[in-house]
Amino acid sequence: MRMTMEEMKNEAETTSMVSMPLYAVMYSAGKENPGLTQDIIMKILEEKSVEVNFTESLLQMAADDVEEYMTEQPEPEFQDLNKKAQALRQILSKIPDEIKDRVRFLQTIKDIAGAIKELLDTVNNVFKKYQYQDLRAREHQKKEFVKYSKSFSNTLKTYFKDGKAINVFISANQLIYQLIHQLPAW
Amino acid sequence: MHSNCRQRGRNQNSPREIPPQTDFPTGCPMENEPGIVSPFKRVFLKGEKSRDKKAHEKVTERRPLHTVVLSLPERVEPDRLLSDYIEKEVKRAHQLPGHLTQEHDAVISLSAYNVKLAWRDGEDTILRVPIHDIAAVSYVRDDASHLVVLKTAQDPGISPSQSLCAESSRGLTTGSLSESGVGPVEACCLVILAAESKVAAEELCSLLGQVFQIVYTESTIDFLDRAIFDGASTPTHHLSLHSDDSSTKVDMKEPYETEASTFSFPECAHAGGVSPLSFCMQTAPHAKTVSESELSATAAELLQDYMLTLRTKLSSQEIQQFAALLHEYRDGASVHEFCINLRQLYGDSRKFLLLGLRPFIPEKDSQHFENFLETIGVKDGRGIITDSFGRYRRATSSTSTSTSNGNRAAGSSDDQSAPSEGDEWDRMISDISNDIEALGCSMDQDSA
Repeated sequence: MRMTMEEMKNEAETTSMVSMPLYAVMYSAGKENPGLTQDIIMKILEEKSVEVNFTESLLQMAADDVEEYMTEQPEPEFQDLNKKAQALRQILSKIPDEIKDRVRFLQTIKDIAGAIKELLDTVNNVFKKYQYQDLRAREHQKKEFVKYSKSFSNTLKTYFKDGKAINVFISANQLIYQLIHQLPAW
Repeated sequence: MHSNCRQRGRNQNSPREIPPQTDFPTGCPMENEPGIVSPFKRVFLKGEKSRDKKAHEKVTERRPLHTVVLSLPERVEPDRLLSDYIEKEVKRAHQLPGHLTQEHDAVISLSAYNVKLAWRDGEDTILRVPIHDIAAVSYVRDDASHLVVLKTAQDPGISPSQSLCAESSRGLTTGSLSESGVGPVEACCLVILAAESKVAAEELCSLLGQVFQIVYTESTIDFLDRAIFDGASTPTHHLSLHSDDSSTKVDMKEPYETEASTFSFPECAHAGGVSPLSFCMQTAPHAKTVSESELSATAAELLQDYMLTLRTKLSSQEIQQFAALLHEYRDGASVHEFCINLRQLYGDSRKFLLLGLRPFIPEKDSQHFENFLETIGVKDGRGIITDSFGRYRRATSSTSTSTSNGNRAAGSSDDQSAPSEGDEWDRMISDISNDIEALGCSMDQDSA
């Protein structure tokens, strides 16, 4: 399950001429209809009775380097932004492995806190340096990310009361989704 | 927390021997006859019976404990330790070894905030230790004694009984270490408690372990919230603010817009027939002012959090007193007076609430406030409540002339500039304090 999109693409290219069009079709369809790919995968897993927690696996895959997750601008501030975003995704992807051990999980949360702070500081630096015309819009996007960060924090508080890890995975995935989609705009 | 279990190789005699029934020599033939009792024996036995009876009455007169029975590895609900407390019966041991009697009976009260030890009879407090001052908890088995030992930090603010404990146990600690040739020894205080049984001792250790876990967890989440809040504000441009030091130029942090803020507090549970609290402050219907909208959502949450905490910790009368003190401070009372009066209001058990005021103290008074916190032994970054409020520093410029006591620098052109964040905090505090006063009055009317 833990293959990057790039690896899947490469494998598809090398293994079968038939797979390539399928990948291309799925990729395009997924872009047009968000959630389609997930629905299909879930159905396949269900049909095959595969015991895989999709949400957990998705979170674990978040650490993978994917070009679509990064900004293309070459300036140092934006490259720094890429690094900080990548660092945050990596730490979040560790949650499924760490959540069972309270001490280690608390340390992971501290690492997440540090990574979020560093990312937001980097975004602030970008905003400060490049006095954008559409700063308000960018600020709004940053605010959305902050909102999901806060939601993640609230989910953790609930988790420590009810012990339902799946909600933490979902919230972490939502945060990563926000990160992926806001980053190019910043 | 670490737990040690040691057994000394001494005789197996119980430290508490039941004294044999006193029996006089039977030389006197009259005493052998039924119905005839020596006058001395009669007085003695009567005294014994009376003492036993009093002791028994004392035990039966004791109030029931606010406790829960745990079957390890069962755990209590975290809320039980966060919003409530658990009591367990122990014996307070002053020194080791020692013969422990009913006079040593004590009650240990555990919560996520502190550990309190009080005498079982009379309920006088022996000591109170904040959780952040507990370095370690150990279970030591000494023959039939089951000791739970709390290692706590040396604190100048501790009570005389604690310093006595420190004196008696420091010698024990330093003596044993110096024998082994180890270097300089760090002094600490040991609180030694004797539990009734191994099960009771392990239960106590488990509860303390859970307390530590709650504290660590809450601190970590607060750390995360703090990091998010710190990163949320955006420094966008430089502005020079009129201040005492007119040459100062600072970054003006542009806080986030908030949505229409509604400070609504959940209702309190009924307590002894008092009607539930219901506190709601709506913003003006003609939409928020520009400055109000620029307050960060998290900053408003801080304020809301603090008010929520006060409502759970203070009575209605105390809330009114708090509002009055806040008013006085805003109207020109010195920060020193404000601190002293608040300290008096909160008392020793609730002095940690002062930390929550940090975000609302203007910069010019913050140094004095911090010094005051140090003098009363409320330290930075410890304990769950301190982390909830203690690490936040106001985002306003350090050169702001707007203060919550209403002072403004003469000739300041602040009147013509957009309201600073400090002004907005003051306005919010003023509104909140007005509403608190009104709340207190309405509660009095309800209960009348």
